[in-house]
Amino acid sequence: MALTIAIHSYKGGSGKTSFAINLASAYASVGKSVCLLDVDLKAPSSFNYLLPEAKHWVNDIFEGRYGVMDVVKDVSKEMGTKGAFYVGYSNPDIVAVRGISSKDRKWQSKALKLLMTAKRDLSNAGIDIVILDTGAGVDFTSVNAIAVADYVISVGRPGASRQRLMEQVIGGVYMPLDKDCYIIENMCHNDNPTDLSGKKFDLPVLASIPCMCDVAVRCDNEVLVLTEPDHAFSKKIYDIMESLDKITS
Amino acid sequence: MTDNSSTEEMIRLLREISGKLDRILIQGSADNESDDGILDVLDVMTLLTLPDHLRTTATALFELGSATADELAERTNKERAVESNYLNQLVRMGHVAKNRKGRKVYFSIGEGLGK
Repeated sequence: MALTIAIHSYKGGSGKTSFAINLASAYASVGKSVCLLDVDLKAPSSFNYLLPEAKHWVNDIFEGRYGVMDVVKDVSKEMGTKGAFYVGYSNPDIVAVRGISSKDRKWQSKALKLLMTAKRDLSNAGIDIVILDTGAGVDFTSVNAIAVADYVISVGRPGASRQRLMEQVIGGVYMPLDKDCYIIENMCHNDNPTDLSGKKFDLPVLASIPCMCDVAVRCDNEVLVLTEPDHAFSKKIYDIMESLDKITS
Repeated sequence: MTDNSSTEEMIRLLREISGKLDRILIQGSADNESDDGILDVLDVMTLLTLPDHLRTTATALFELGSATADELAERTNKERAVESNYLNQLVRMGHVAKNRKGRKVYFSIGEGLGK
């Protein structure tokens, strides 16, 4: 069965999408067969513009129009990765985004079932790692993805107020769904650390990534782990990948 | 009161009654939609509100798609009789559908009965 990791954050602007695309690329660069899906249908990710185009959208999976293997595109040749690198984008067209906001609970229940089916299809197609780039906060699109995942990585910026929000999501979503969760502290400054270890939930902090101005700018135009593997950010991503390998093996 | 003024008053009262009937009809349909949603659809937010034992069973059923009590018990590492009991609780709550195929009974997440 493919290892499915949901990349989530309790609030937007945490660097979740940059982390997701770089982690997926890191796995593909070492020869793993990877699928990166943008499941944030309400706020499609910027990697739509960063990676080669595909014919269909992730939205088509949720609507039952196409299976996941019809939707994803292998970009390993263009990206120069050793392993297969499939990507699936959500539709950034405003009509599609508005449509998602008006879906009812029955549609969301069916969407969860179709996402479970997609996970099985990806496993059957020989994918090793599925990375779900979810929406921020708690809504149907993000919680459906968390329910499907084997592991949840919560990407958060440090700070006491954010820590309180993170605790709410851990206790109210991750734990009831019985997920193995890990925290990535992103954009860290030395004088403002978040430390959940030893507190109520005692979740492991997998890595703390320092705040680096060039990362925010460059991640809009390139995949750093592929273009500059020796960059401090890239090294952190590779370290996280190795930690995950140890946890999941 | 002239004939004209009594006719105008009658029209005003009829419009008032018509408006009240419209509001009653809208309210009634909204109540029905709410009942259908709560009783017949198992979405992930509802899943989060279930007690631990039923949530585990329902989550496993989402993963399997359709399953017998035996298959589900194998997934959750519980006794078949225990899972059968939990599944039937979910059936009574309207979240899970139960279908007989030959000698086997299959359970699946309900599609929603009211819509």
